[in-house]
Order: sequence, then structure tokens, then C-alpha cells
Amino acid sequence: MDLTQNIEAFDARIEALLAWLQDNAGFVFNTTRHGLEAFFGAVHWLLATPSPYFVVAVVAALGLHLLGWRFTVLATLGLLACQVMGLWGVTMDTLALVIAATAMALAVALPLGIVAGYNRRLDKMAEPLLDLLQTLPPYIYLLPAIALLGYGPATSLVATVLVAIAPALRLTSLGIRMTPNEFLELGHANGIAPLQMFFKIRLPFAVPSIMAGINQSLMMAFGMVVIAGIVGSGGLGQTIYEAVRTLNIAVSIDATVAIVILTMVLDRLTQSAGTAKTGAAR
Amino acid sequence: MSSSTEAGEVLIDCQSVWKVFGEKAPLAMKAIAERGLSKTEVLREFDCVVGVSNASLQVKRGEIFCIMGLSGSGKSTLIRMFNRLIDATGGAIQIKGQNLMQLGATELRAMRAKHIGMVFQAVALLPHRNVLENAAFGLEVQGMGKEERHKIATAALQKVGLADWTHKMPRELSGGMQQRVGLARAIAADPEIILMDEPFSALDPLIRRQLQDEFRQLAKSLGKSAVFITHDLDEAMRIGDRIAIMKDGVIVQTGTAADIVMNPANAYVAEFVAGISHLHLVTARSVLCPVAEFQQAAPGVDVNSLPRSAPDADLDALIAIMVGALDHAIGVWDGASLLGVVTAKALLKSVQEKPATAKA
Repeated sequence: MDLTQNIEAFDARIEALLAWLQDNAGFVFNTTRHGLEAFFGAVHWLLATPSPYFVVAVVAALGLHLLGWRFTVLATLGLLACQVMGLWGVTMDTLALVIAATAMALAVALPLGIVAGYNRRLDKMAEPLLDLLQTLPPYIYLLPAIALLGYGPATSLVATVLVAIAPALRLTSLGIRMTPNEFLELGHANGIAPLQMFFKIRLPFAVPSIMAGINQSLMMAFGMVVIAGIVGSGGLGQTIYEAVRTLNIAVSIDATVAIVILTMVLDRLTQSAGTAKTGAAR
Repeated sequence: MSSSTEAGEVLIDCQSVWKVFGEKAPLAMKAIAERGLSKTEVLREFDCVVGVSNASLQVKRGEIFCIMGLSGSGKSTLIRMFNRLIDATGGAIQIKGQNLMQLGATELRAMRAKHIGMVFQAVALLPHRNVLENAAFGLEVQGMGKEERHKIATAALQKVGLADWTHKMPRELSGGMQQRVGLARAIAADPEIILMDEPFSALDPLIRRQLQDEFRQLAKSLGKSAVFITHDLDEAMRIGDRIAIMKDGVIVQTGTAADIVMNPANAYVAEFVAGISHLHLVTARSVLCPVAEFQQAAPGVDVNSLPRSAPDADLDALIAIMVGALDHAIGVWDGASLLGVVTAKALLKSVQEKPATAKA
């Protein structure tokens, strides 16, 4: 039928386009992949090289500083459980992916968010794009990436970065824009220069919002990294994916528990970092 | 800062200043100048709101000038035009002889940093900084080193009685104390002019009175000029050397407290001042009757034996004299010359009397 033919023709076009990209711009994608993998490798090295107990101790120390002893005890027990279940290696793979992807997403989102906070028009233009990014099911982002970057952590990083950009960008822009008017007036009335206005007035008031954005981006990245197990990202996501495929339900449940533990630890730590900054009392 | 400037020097000179809000403000301004449109016509024709219309006033060195009006009268807009937080649409404003409208961005910043301080109703203390750092904020913005600015800010905090609170955070302070920090921050940069935007309105009455008196004393002892915005007539009379009353963006009357109470310019002002006690505003000079008239009414009395007062003694003082002496009249003397006599009757009448009816 006509319609099917049309669709077949369309599919052929897309395939041809991808093939053309592979042939003619292959070096771009190769370089991108190597770059991404090198960055991931570096983060991974930091987390996987030291002894698990050292990493647990660092998290515990952070927790004690930011949140108190109850969190510290629970987080320590949880992370040790990952080690006991024999999942320490993949847990660190996942953590490295999340951290690498979030770092890259923030490198884009924070500066753009600041600019959008100043420029209402840019903010308005970015909004539909960010809406789209956040509305589409995360699976979608794996498709172009796997076509161009292949099976492996690079693909999962790109998809994760895309998912993680929106919340941090939005909340950074909001934070910069929402400086209470009386403080803007205070600055102007004292003859403040634009750069001072940013660092001394706008930024301090934006910190809670920015930290909330970072926390949300991190959580989005976490969700995506687990899904990306399907494209060979490594880590807990892939462990679950493979365990389910071979009907090894016990292992998939272990990995799920590890994911829950890691999510909660990261969420609580970054949330408290946000409030600790702003509530800095004594 | 040069303190040896002539008295009466005009620091803020504001000549028929307009503020029109709206996208077509320049067009509306032109139409007002050419065709003399009214507020409602401007709103209908240009969809613009007239915030301040044709306001003229002068603030002299060392003077505390109050602008009093209810909310929406344009007083906050007017005061913000004195440091260009809001740009005037029409008219001219000169600060220390410099045309404010023509200052470039850098000059304007310098003007704001060195010559015009401001205190806000919302206080606006930075919540993540302690009291000392807040008081030093203006100096910090000017690029002064930490040690020096903290020294000056400490001295400023001392002047407002907060020397022991330097390392507290703003939220640990009561509302009145927070506003003192706001005042310390404004005087730390040692500006000649301080703009006070309803600084005490949010405070409870007792603290407010205390701060009013302290502020007046402080401003006078430091020789500062101040423009003080308030919606409270009592506050304006307590603090201001002169008062301007605003309504719907127009300055209806400017004068001393006594001028305004004794000779309200229109029914609006008259209604406002109706409740104000005359005791401290009316002086002997305005209630006395000529000596000849008095002698005709009371031929047996020797005017030289009457208790005496100066011509600028207020009703309160006259009543005190009248109660203390046996006589029913007081001689008003300016040095060696007898100006007239205040009779008990005239005194009672002036206490009872509502302010002179508005002049048409």
C-alpha cells in the first residue's frame, strides 16, 4: 500500500542519513565517545580504586557533618550491605556514571541557567525545549545516542546528560530571577556594580533554588543511568537487566536494594548540602 | 566631607518632576506638557498611570524634610527618583548642584555610594551576613578593605546603640534593632543625604517613637539632610523640619508643622490635621491681641505688671504661665518691646478652636 511504502521510504532515508553520518562524521562521534569514556573512566577510577571501606568512611564523615548520626549509621549499614551482597563494583560503576553525567549536565545547565535568569527572552525560548526534554520518555534519548556512539557507557552518559539538564537549568534561572526586589534596591541604592550585584546579592539568594535543581538533576540522572543498563552502560542497571533476562530474580532484587540505598544516600546528602548552605546559622 | 558649607545650601532641588508609568510614558508626558491632560485622560488615552505629577521641592543642608501621604500618593515613587532607583519622566532633579538625569552609569554609582544613603521599610538586611557585615555593606561595595570598613561600621553601629550586637545574625534581632542596623548601614558611608523610605512604619508604636527621636537627634548631630517618607502625620510632625503633603501624586502643601496645621491649603489637608493638638504648634505671637485693644477692655490693669512670655512660647507654655500666676492675661515681650497681650479668653479659644478653615 501507498502508506506503508511511504513509511518504508522514510525509514530508508533515516538509515541512509545515519550511515552517511557514520561515514563522513565518524571521527566526531569517535572523539566524543573517547572523550566521554575518558571522563567516565577518571571518575570511576576515583571511586573504584580505594578500598570500599574507605569510600564508606568518606560518605559517613560527610553524613555526620551534614546530617547527624542517624543518617550516618543507616548509610554506613546500607553501603556495607552493597559490599556484602557482592555488588560493590557495579554500585561504584553506577555511582561513577551518575556523577560524571550530572557533572556534565551541570556544566551546561548552571551557566545557561544564570544567563536565562537575567534574560527573560532566553528563558521564554528555552522553556518549550525544556518541557519537551522533560516530557518525552527517557528511553527515547538512548536511540540517537546508540546509533551514533554505539553500545557502552558513552551512550548512557549522553542520554543521562540530556535528562539531567532541565531541572538544574530551570531552578538556577528561577533562583537568579527571584531575588527579592528590596535587595536589588539595596544594591542599587549603594551604587553596586553589576558583577558585585551577582555575587553579593543575586547568587546568595539563589543558592537554595540552585541546590534544589542540582538535587533534582542528580535524581533524574540516577533514573536514566539505571534504564541505560539496556545499552551496556555497566553498573546496577545492567545487572538488573541481565538478571531479569535470565530469570535470576534473586540477583535482580539484590541490585534493586543497592539502587534504593544509593539513591537515598545521594538524595539526602545533596538536599542537606542545599539547606546547610542557606541556613548557615552558627 | 566638607562641613564648612554655607547654611541653607540646597542639596536636593527637585523642579516640577513627573513620573508616568506605562509603555507610552514619553508620549503621555508630551501630551501632558502640550495639552495639560488630567490623570484620567492620560489613563484613557495612553494607558499610562501618573505616579507623581509636577512635584517641586528643595531640601537644604541639615534639614529633615518629611513627605507625608497615604498609600498610593506617590511618595515612595518620588523618593526613589532622588537616587534614580526610578527615573523621572519629566522635570529636573539636582543633587548638590549636579543634574541627576545626566549622570552616566559610573557617575551615578559614585553618587549613590558616596552622597546618598537609603533606609528601607523592609530593612533589607542580608540574612546570610551578620550585623557588622551588613552595616559595612555599602563600604564593601565601594571596595574598601575589610579591616577599615569593619572599623567604620563598628563606629556606625555604636552611634545607633548596637555596639554589642556586631556578631549576631539579623534574624536574632528585634524589628527595631534591625532598622537600627539599616540606619547604621546608611550612615556608615557618611553620605550628606539620607533617604528614609517609611523606615519605622512596621514597628510597634513605642519603639517607633523612640526611634523617631533617636533618628532626629542623630541626623542633627551628624549634620545630615534627610528626606523622610511616612504615612503618619504625627511622625512627620515629630521628625520633620518641613513637611510636604502628597495626594494622588501631587504635593498639596509644603511648610512647617505649624504652617500646615494653622493654614491648611485645602479641605483634604484640613481634614488630615483636624485631630492634631495645637498645644505645641500655636505660639503667643498668633494669639495675642494688641495692647490698645486690651487696655480698652480692661482699663485698670497695668500691662507692665502682667506675667511675661516670649513671642514664640507655645500654648502649652502659656497655659503653664497662666495657671501659675493669678492674672488673667500675659504680656508678650520681644526683648524690651511689648508686642501685645494674651488673654485667658483668647488662650482658651485657641485651644478649643479647630484649625482655621481651609482657604478656598
